[in-house]
Amino acid sequence: MQLTEETVYTPQEMIVVAGARTLEDNKVVFVGTGLPMIATVLARRTHAPGLIPVFEAGAVGPTLEAGLPFSVGDSRTSSRASYTKGLNAAFELTQRGFCDFGFVGGAEIDPFGNLNSTMMGKFPEDYQKPRVRLPGSGGAGDMAASCERTILIMPHQKRRFNEKLSYITSPGFLDGTPGARKRAGLLGRGPYRVITTKAVLDFDEATRRMRLIHTMPGETVESVQAATGFELLVSPAVSEFDPPTDQELRLIREQIDPLGFFVKKPVKPQPLPNQF
Amino acid sequence: MVWTGLNPDEAREALVRKDKSKRDKRTSLKEAVDAFIKDGDNVAVGGFVNIRQPVAIAHEMIRHGFQDLTLSFQSGGMAIDYLGGAMALAPDHFSFKRVELAYWAHESFGLSSIFRYLAENGLVELEDWSNYNMSARFKAGSMGLPFIPCRSPMGSDILKRCRAKVVECPFTGRPIILLPASNPNVAVIHVQAADPYGNCIIRGTDATCPEMAMAAAHTIVTCEQLVSHELITRSPKEITIPFFAVDAVVHVPFGAYPSSCRRHYYFNKDHIATFHALATLLHKGNPGGLKAYYEDYIFGNHTFQDFIDRFPVRKLLEEQLSESENYERLA
Repeated sequence: MQLTEETVYTPQEMIVVAGARTLEDNKVVFVGTGLPMIATVLARRTHAPGLIPVFEAGAVGPTLEAGLPFSVGDSRTSSRASYTKGLNAAFELTQRGFCDFGFVGGAEIDPFGNLNSTMMGKFPEDYQKPRVRLPGSGGAGDMAASCERTILIMPHQKRRFNEKLSYITSPGFLDGTPGARKRAGLLGRGPYRVITTKAVLDFDEATRRMRLIHTMPGETVESVQAATGFELLVSPAVSEFDPPTDQELRLIREQIDPLGFFVKKPVKPQPLPNQF
Repeated sequence: MVWTGLNPDEAREALVRKDKSKRDKRTSLKEAVDAFIKDGDNVAVGGFVNIRQPVAIAHEMIRHGFQDLTLSFQSGGMAIDYLGGAMALAPDHFSFKRVELAYWAHESFGLSSIFRYLAENGLVELEDWSNYNMSARFKAGSMGLPFIPCRSPMGSDILKRCRAKVVECPFTGRPIILLPASNPNVAVIHVQAADPYGNCIIRGTDATCPEMAMAAAHTIVTCEQLVSHELITRSPKEITIPFFAVDAVVHVPFGAYPSSCRRHYYFNKDHIATFHALATLLHKGNPGGLKAYYEDYIFGNHTFQDFIDRFPVRKLLEEQLSESENYERLA
């Protein structure tokens, strides 16, 4: 999305708003730091006051009034939580069926919603000496496996949307064949939405391939496809996603992330200084 | 099956032979690290990313020097970075040969350039798992079981390069993952409060610390607050690590700094960023800054107190104040 004079919000703000709107009231969401957490707080302060956040280090249902946590094990997740144990207890909740939604991200995504956050390079040959080593699964692989529905968040760049991944860290619909998740022994229904800086996508029921359902304001079907490294299915009902409302932007900028630590605010274009 | 650390029989035997008496275990960092960690050990590192990382113990391990350790943890931050940085700079003095991990980075504060340096140069053997996998492996170890079943992450490449096995569940007939237990030689853990016998209270997330302590043959604990046995036993259900799982108790205020410790101090984000910047230079081929940091902050100091003394009182108070806002209570 190009920043123009009319643009009064950033792609990150758009992701947060789309994430919030995707969540449902009175459901349980397994949440990571950064944009998913802001989406969760925004949903709680708009249409979903009964939304219950769960953090993988163990905190269940905190109000998050002390400020935004920097870590999923942050002290701020424990304050006014209903229940706090540790990682085992949190992941047991996902297996048991307590977690309706999970937010998952990665460095790379394929058409079936599988994600990579482990390594770039040839696998398995280069596993012990990868070209680029990423942090690893953390809880992402567990969330993708066992939360009932997952919302995948990605910056929309061609190099990140690939027909084939270097490494599958977090399982989506695997090879896309019917019943692939169930056959593999996975519990949750799998990827529900992909929310990016350019689009909102779901997955075709028959082929399990990624399908464009909304373009973000300023984007077109063509511009989204051009930024994707594989062919997208396009819903016949594809439409433009509603831009953030003033209320949503005010909540993000003034109350939820006033310092702009996680969500970048729009910057007024400055004249280029004379370099050197 | 290759067991890194103790196999289930050795783990059982270690506990049977262990002196489980309720005795005063207070000691110094130097003595604890010297007595309970040896070359080649599998060391479980407590905390979670930059929460309650056992930083004081990590610094002491670096000063002592070890070879060929295996590090086991779910998600590691500053303590793991310190250990990895030491290996990058002085492998003849300090090294680990293997990590069993789910995640090594700093969440909101960025990737770990130390991890990138070690992995991308092929300097350490990797075994990737998920957070639940590592946590459940310690849990199996703590339960005295050789393995534990787990549902995730089926279908991922993680399962292709680790020791997990996917089998048909004998009861449902569906695929299930069996994770081998982790019984480390030693666990290193920082807690909010402990008594001289090693009974521990953890505030906020337990992470996987109780499971690690129960699974390991030996456990070294550092604590923010050393309290009397009488006080801590007023709330026995809050004790998540019992005395007989612990071998050494060291009173180290700010023992997780610059990572955070609930009720005591929040992160020192600036210092984490400074370290990260120096680590990034190392990754790009310039180790000078990181070397100077280690000389200044770790090697050159004789105790962890000297490290803490490097921070202005104003800065330490700032992190304490931030945490008091995170967790409001009457003085």
